Amino acid sequence: MTRYEQAAAGAVALMLVAAGFIFLFAPTDALQGPVQRIFYLHVSSAIAAYGCFGVVLIGGIGYLWKESAAADRLARAAALVGLVFTTVTLIMGMIWAKPIWNTFWTWDARLTSTLVLWIIYAGYLMVRRLAEPGRQAARFAAVVGIFGFIDVPVVHFSVTWWRTVHPGPVVINDALPPEMLIAFLITMACTLVLAAVMIAIRYRIEYLMDQAAERIVAAPIAAPSEAGSAR
Amino acid sequence: MWCTDLRSIAVAIAVARKDLTAEWRTRELVPALAQFVVLALVIANFGFQFDSHNAPAIAPGVLWMALVFAGLVAFGRAFAAEREQASLEAMLLTPAAPAAIFAGKALAAGLLLVICEAVLLPALALFFSVPLSFDVVSAVLLATVGMAVLGCLFAAMVARVRARELLLPLLTLPLWIPFIVVGGQAVQAAMGAGGGTNQATGLLLDLDILFVVLTSLAARFVLDD
Repeated sequence: MTRYEQAAAGAVALMLVAAGFIFLFAPTDALQGPVQRIFYLHVSSAIAAYGCFGVVLIGGIGYLWKESAAADRLARAAALVGLVFTTVTLIMGMIWAKPIWNTFWTWDARLTSTLVLWIIYAGYLMVRRLAEPGRQAARFAAVVGIFGFIDVPVVHFSVTWWRTVHPGPVVINDALPPEMLIAFLITMACTLVLAAVMIAIRYRIEYLMDQAAERIVAAPIAAPSEAGSAR
Repeated sequence: MWCTDLRSIAVAIAVARKDLTAEWRTRELVPALAQFVVLALVIANFGFQFDSHNAPAIAPGVLWMALVFAGLVAFGRAFAAEREQASLEAMLLTPAAPAAIFAGKALAAGLLLVICEAVLLPALALFFSVPLSFDVVSAVLLATVGMAVLGCLFAAMVARVRARELLLPLLTLPLWIPFIVVGGQAVQAAMGAGGGTNQATGLLLDLDILFVVLTSLAARFVLDD
């Protein structure tokens, strides 16, 4: 078992622990019933997604500043993982919204900005795919990652000024009973570990892909000089 | 410092003049865009069940849809000639700052979009019989500033990328959303659908300042490649 497989197994085990807290420890919501249990993973994956995109931002700035290939690989890995967590957030939110708001979707500030977040980082991955690999892709993606990260609060603010139905931050406002708060904090910690492990694995994949690409580029250049050596 | 600032402004104006002269001589983009926005209005007229009661509710949406897509075409063309002649590289070899060259390109493309708006807004007022007030014009013009700098930044980026027509809307539209949210609100209010406009004008100004500063910082990384 490699280091990465061990980390993955650990992250999955932690998520099972979180599931135990969500379904066995946390009390059922008096008003919303069992569907409220979506809250724990919904909010946790939203926080994990924002964390991932924060890493994309830092990686992008790091690349533009120092031209560090590692910073760019980190941004690439975090963007993909962040997109996965944003998808989870959106889908779980819709499942929760249907029984409570009686609609899958409403153009509320938080929903709109999360959807825009998803679209921006899907575009980020498209730039990575379509730009010339290497310096160009890394630079362009860094710019998209930085603008995307700034745009999301702006979208959120401009729609908030308009209309909103999504509940505010209940955790910070001290509105949760202690059992729910414990279950939430444990789920959040486990989800963040899962996100970190996923980024680490993806980083490794990106690293190996970069190396493979370098070998393809380097092979015809290196071949004449090594023609005499026994290989 | 003061001297280089003046030089940068001179460079930006020279680049914008070059682009506008090229457009004046060929007269390609503006007539095509004008025709495009009128066509968009005709299509919208058939797409909506339109009468005098719902006009103030529908017209702002039609305005922004037509403007956004006209903008995508205009900014997509902004770097087309440079790409075909490989003249952007030549401009970047001069001692001029990349940010100044970018500002010139954005200024010219923004002015072309303003000319297109000079067709779109009266046509909208005519076909949809909505009032064309100062608030509508100022909201559209303020949004154009931010849309032009963002549109040109990503147009410069996709000019060097495969499948550029695909990528430009994907990158640009999400970043235009704040302008459309706030500008849309201002235009709805001005056309009689309720809401305040004073706040919207201030917000649009803030957004313009934010994105002009950001794009001028980012221009170096996109152009100087």
